[in-house]
Amino acid sequence: MENKEVINTLNDIKDLMERSSKFKAISGLSILIVGVLASLVSAFIYFFLGDYTINTPFKWKITIIMALGLLLLAFLTVFVMAYLKAKRHSMRFTMDATMRKLLINFFVPMLAGGLLCLALVQQQHYGLISSITLIFYGLALINCSHFSYPALRYLGYVELALGLIDCFLVDYALLFWFLGFGVAHIVFGIIFMLKYERSK
Amino acid sequence: MIANLDGLNKAFESKIRLGIMSVLMANESVDFTTMKSLLELTDGNLASHARSLEELGYICCEKKFIGRKPNTSYSITDLGRAAFSAHIQALASFINTQQ
Repeated sequence: MENKEVINTLNDIKDLMERSSKFKAISGLSILIVGVLASLVSAFIYFFLGDYTINTPFKWKITIIMALGLLLLAFLTVFVMAYLKAKRHSMRFTMDATMRKLLINFFVPMLAGGLLCLALVQQQHYGLISSITLIFYGLALINCSHFSYPALRYLGYVELALGLIDCFLVDYALLFWFLGFGVAHIVFGIIFMLKYERSK
Repeated sequence: MIANLDGLNKAFESKIRLGIMSVLMANESVDFTTMKSLLELTDGNLASHARSLEELGYICCEKKFIGRKPNTSYSITDLGRAAFSAHIQALASFINTQQ
């Protein structure tokens, strides 16, 4: 047996182990687009409200409705672009064990955070909503990174850190949302594309 | 050079069997259809290779019904895990001796 042949065999094994246990169809461009959308929405809210402090229930209502719209649009973008990427690289895109694990690990923290925010809105404790969304989103990313690109955890750490800093500051919700969901996604999306999707 | 190949396991000479073991090392359990599409095999091909691994005690095969559909899933045994690791070790040390 040739040396090269052995190396090929080992690479095949590694590839197969990765392909069978990780969902690799997530597209870097979709992360970038989510970042751009989030930035646009933040900018819109900023100009709509006149400044970045969200300090009245009315302002919060506008912001929360916009944020929910953005959330749906973001999921749709990521999902559709993952489907297209899978198709382009002839990867599997079915509800198999890997995808199920990815979705469960992502949506359990997300739903927990979402319900917590719902309770806070209901009790009109708006102050911590921005940090809670960032913290739970960060935890969801860290949690699901085991079943996709492991690098997703770094985006998770950034979101988590921003959320924790935001806890200690008052009135900067919009700014931290812009940093966490806008800037962080744009930067990560570009790094992701350069690192994993170039010349493929 | 032949001496270096001592640790290699005959059962894993086939690419398909090595593939099955690789997939099972990375996953708790994998069902028949997923395995088939991952390795791009036909039903009969996968079944016969899986059976030979099962006879060696390297993998175990669980057959059950989901609704009315029969569903076969495979998982690796401790023996299989040890055999696979030894095989990889042998491959790695082969490369090291070559350098």
